[in-house]
Amino acid sequence: MDGKELAEYCVDFGSKLGARYVEARYVNDITRGLAYRNGQPVSGGYSPATGIGVRVLVDGGLGFASFDRLEKKLAEETISVAFKMAKNAKRKEPIDMGEPVSNEEKWQMKAKESLKDVDMETMMKLSDEVNKQMEGLAAFTFLINPKVMDKFIVTNEGTKIESQLSYILMYSMLTAKAPGGSEQKYLDLTLAGGWERIRDTKLVERVGDEVERLKTAANEAVKIDDLLSKPIDMIVGPEVAGIIAHENVGHPSEGDRIKGREAAQAGESFWRDLKIGESRVGSDAVTVSEDPTIPNTSGFYLYDDEGVKARKRVLIKNGILNEPLLNREFGTKFGMRSNAAARSTGFNREPIIRMANTYFEAGDHSFEELVEDVKYGVYMRGFKEWNIDDRRYQSKYTGSEAYLIKNGEITDTMVKRPIMETTSIGLLSALDAVSKNLSFDFPGTCGKSDPSQGIPVYAGGGELRFRDIRLGGVG
Amino acid sequence: MGDLKELADYAVDYAKDKTDAIIARCMKTSGSQIRFSHNAIDISKRWELLQIQLFAVVNGAKTGFTERAVSSKDDVKSIVDDLVVFTQILPDSQFFAGLEDKTQSYPELKGQYDEKFDDFVEDAPHIINAVAEEAVSAGAKRVAGALRFDKSEFFFRSSLGPEGSGKRTFFDLNVRALQEELDYSGQGLSCGVKPSKSKDDMIAAGEKAGRFSKQAIGAVQGKPGIYDLVLSPAVGANVIGSIPGLANPFAILIGQSPLGDKIGEQLAPDFVSVTDDPLFDGGLASRRFDWEGTPSQKTKIFDEGVLKSYMHNTSTAKMFETESTGNSNLTGWQMKLLVPTPSNIVFSNGDHKVEELLEVSRPTIYVTCNWYTRFQNSQTGDFSTIPRDAMFLIEKGEMKPIKNMRISDNTMRMLSNIDALGNDRTQIFWWEVRTPTIIPTMRIRDCKMTAATQ
Repeated sequence: MDGKELAEYCVDFGSKLGARYVEARYVNDITRGLAYRNGQPVSGGYSPATGIGVRVLVDGGLGFASFDRLEKKLAEETISVAFKMAKNAKRKEPIDMGEPVSNEEKWQMKAKESLKDVDMETMMKLSDEVNKQMEGLAAFTFLINPKVMDKFIVTNEGTKIESQLSYILMYSMLTAKAPGGSEQKYLDLTLAGGWERIRDTKLVERVGDEVERLKTAANEAVKIDDLLSKPIDMIVGPEVAGIIAHENVGHPSEGDRIKGREAAQAGESFWRDLKIGESRVGSDAVTVSEDPTIPNTSGFYLYDDEGVKARKRVLIKNGILNEPLLNREFGTKFGMRSNAAARSTGFNREPIIRMANTYFEAGDHSFEELVEDVKYGVYMRGFKEWNIDDRRYQSKYTGSEAYLIKNGEITDTMVKRPIMETTSIGLLSALDAVSKNLSFDFPGTCGKSDPSQGIPVYAGGGELRFRDIRLGGVG
Repeated sequence: MGDLKELADYAVDYAKDKTDAIIARCMKTSGSQIRFSHNAIDISKRWELLQIQLFAVVNGAKTGFTERAVSSKDDVKSIVDDLVVFTQILPDSQFFAGLEDKTQSYPELKGQYDEKFDDFVEDAPHIINAVAEEAVSAGAKRVAGALRFDKSEFFFRSSLGPEGSGKRTFFDLNVRALQEELDYSGQGLSCGVKPSKSKDDMIAAGEKAGRFSKQAIGAVQGKPGIYDLVLSPAVGANVIGSIPGLANPFAILIGQSPLGDKIGEQLAPDFVSVTDDPLFDGGLASRRFDWEGTPSQKTKIFDEGVLKSYMHNTSTAKMFETESTGNSNLTGWQMKLLVPTPSNIVFSNGDHKVEELLEVSRPTIYVTCNWYTRFQNSQTGDFSTIPRDAMFLIEKGEMKPIKNMRISDNTMRMLSNIDALGNDRTQIFWWEVRTPTIIPTMRIRDCKMTAATQ
């Protein structure tokens, strides 16, 4: 019995046990990788991860069973345990998945040059080119892991979805030394699609550019105390726009957080006490969307891991809360329907509500127009240290590359580690303009849940302009 | 265990002539987790895994690893063949300097396995209900959390001689108690190796979470400034307890440790001593030998505040011209590397009751939980982290709940500013603390607290 056949058997078996809803997800995930330190190879690895994850809904309780050997007996044993545990949960309020979903489809992430066909020599050659760009730094690492994930989802409601995802996962940690100390930057360089994405996105050149920018920041950035003395205007680049879209808008829009299911892990959401469709959380210039259907992104999918057809979601429209991210369970809880936000990182994780590609919708300004209207401020192109509380209300972004703006021009003066420490509403209300240069400059790995599920996402926007921001935190 | 030994033995025997060295570790795990919120169970999970991990050395210095599910000797054969072909085309590793090649006896480690584990699986949903009820009795309105409990066994063999086996059970419970409001919450944690004997400790975690949540009611915006901080074991384990784990040559070599070139320096007060202790009774990471088969030993990292030693595996020990401390591990996300990692980080216990640490005359904040720690610079320790759940300003002998602040400081400066240790040493393991850390409450002088500007 192969993986797909066994998944179908799992659905039959769970149904016969008496489960109201049964969903089986067979995943065959192949990852190869190389690790380098200061340009020198450390090791290589090859990790196929194959297995099946099954969800059963029994008497209003949810069970999840997963196993890695494709054996019928093991499947039966594991599903039986999960079934029993779910039954014993004895929830007063039954979990309801809403209207049945029965989609049949095959889809895959576009890949002209399949990652399965890329040989190790090609990966090593690229690694050498990337490492060469980092020479001259005090320390640098490079990890490259091409990954192809084949999935087959089948449910007792008639859904059958086959899909294939391709990611070139790449990460670097850079340290630049300068007389005044060192500066570090973590680069997530992940690309989605086939090997052609390396060339299409000019990866090697981009790495070289980032390295030079870090070296310059380490050597030239200075503290400017005057910036702390009064409110100033801030312009941030697409990378910072991306992290703001992800942290201050995307996470609080997650339906499971809003309703408290993640309370002990990733936390709750300040959206809980607001009204969707009515509450204003930002200026008119703020429209933030979430769209899994954008090709060549890490968040790309056409059907989610519950078999629901993907579509764009507008989370905040002109400053007003518009739509939360929902899976089937929370679609029902909100009195709405799933908007296809269920994702899982592997066969051994339950599908939960996740972001895909989160971004500020483009405005109508050019970057130059944003700058020319700033008398005194900072342009923060990239960020390093950041965090946000678990209601997603108080965030901090520390600049990694920032420039002083004076009289409508970006100067050569680099500002050392400017800090935007604000509330989400304070920050979004201060936004007065977005450039038209929509770019997904923030590929990231989004963490959530327990056990942790680190999932590839993209985020971005155009450049954003904030008025009257008080820098530096207080204290 | 017989199956595991058979598969690992077969892997090593089959690979012997194709490799310079190979290590095989076969592990079987039955894991469960119950997640709950709003005082009700959201999902019950069950995992059944049987995996083989292989690390191979080919053509002198080419090193490769693989990890995957395995059922039969035929599976093992193809896994070895794949790994050898894969490793042969890799470049020579510039980081590999050898593996443990001595066959030695291993220290005894008792009490790491709960014989009544299977009974606990049946009891677990009832225990969750009892934990939630206790939190509500203590003042919570809503209770959320997760209880994870696993049992596993493994067999390990190296082609260079070492071999061994082990089995373990463990659990970790995270309870968060909340009021109807978003702001007033408290956390309780419980972890260990014998879940069937830990029901009282789990219920106590529920009580603690509920009590903190109630005490946090009415929390007001904290005022940014410089304060002494009293860190609960959970916070101390994340902020301070992570430092000894960076006495790690690999972290130093990749620029991610503040402890490079600091051996012999006084970095903490003399009442702070820290060991890496893989033999700690009840430690979640306790083991008799490391991933290569080097016997486990205690390694003194900080002795009376002085940085004494780094943690090594065979390769880093050769690079640093010293002996392995038995800290080898195959670790990493996506890409696994054979590098040193800590086992259980164990701080010396203090001699102050927690109440004494809170009897202060200087501006002091008591932080009971934190999350989202991020660094501006891992070499210097410049960082920030967010207190979550109950936090109190201690003023005129009273604890007043406060909220919405951030610790924005430097871990190395905070380490040197530890003022006193409590006598409540506790094992911490949860989302924000992935290395089991046995650590007491601690008070730290003059820490910077910041808050949102708008």
